[in-house]
Amino acid sequence: MFKDLDPILHSQLRLAVMSLLISVKQAEFTFLKEKTNSTAGNLSVQIQKLKEAGYIEVIKEFKDNYPNTTCKITAKGIKAFEEYVKSLQQYLQVKK
Amino acid sequence: MEEKQLTGEESFKLINRMIHEAKGYFYESGLGGIIYGISIFICCVLSWLVESNTMSFPFHPLFLLTPVFFIQAWVQYREEKKKKAKTFTDEVIDYVWTGYFLSVFAALCGNFINAGYIIITIVLLLTAFASFITGMITKFRYHIICGLVCMLIAIVSFFVQSASIYLLMAVTALIVWLVPGLILRARFKKLYHN
Repeated sequence: MFKDLDPILHSQLRLAVMSLLISVKQAEFTFLKEKTNSTAGNLSVQIQKLKEAGYIEVIKEFKDNYPNTTCKITAKGIKAFEEYVKSLQQYLQVKK
Repeated sequence: MEEKQLTGEESFKLINRMIHEAKGYFYESGLGGIIYGISIFICCVLSWLVESNTMSFPFHPLFLLTPVFFIQAWVQYREEKKKKAKTFTDEVIDYVWTGYFLSVFAALCGNFINAGYIIITIVLLLTAFASFITGMITKFRYHIICGLVCMLIAIVSFFVQSASIYLLMAVTALIVWLVPGLILRARFKKLYHN
């Protein structure tokens, strides 16, 4: 039933990250961790998957002498997210 | 957050909750508004005293705002670095106030042709506009009302083309920068220091 849904996005944590990133210009790793209430390890893995899919851009830099990771949604990511929401809407309409 | 297979409804709920969380992100200490409010107020009162020949000053008191501008820019830079996320609202407001400061700078060039107090009226109109737009974008009702009040002050200022116009500017500084700065400061302390 869900086979048309993007498997990259159809995962709780990855979808949460994408939903957060679509609403802001950019967000730090700590912000994503705090809002999704996830562990650093799991979040890192999911961010890496989103990065590999080309849905997000990951910027690693130093902030006050500490490493800091910032994530930003890409144009490809926005398109994939919009298509995912459209598919969900269609699925829910069919279900009704 | 545990990994599990989502249903359609759960996915929608998650998307809504996360978008709501992200949009509700707030990091504004109000320091910038407080610095601007107090310094513009002091400079305007000094300008009024100087131009109404109550006291003398080695240069025009408004020039004191030049170092304040750099101090505020530094404070703003420090705050930007502390933000964990940059929202689109933050970005638009930055553009509005950058446009405001550039326009004020352009209006001040009127001094080269001795345009007089009308420059302060233009600055008041620009301030009213920036405050109103900020209120509309952030849905902060205080700024919307404040923008409308400033427009009234700007209209009044057309009829006060004398040294007293600085007092109107001083009142504007209090309501546009100082009061919202204090409100934001209180909200910030409640959110991040409790």
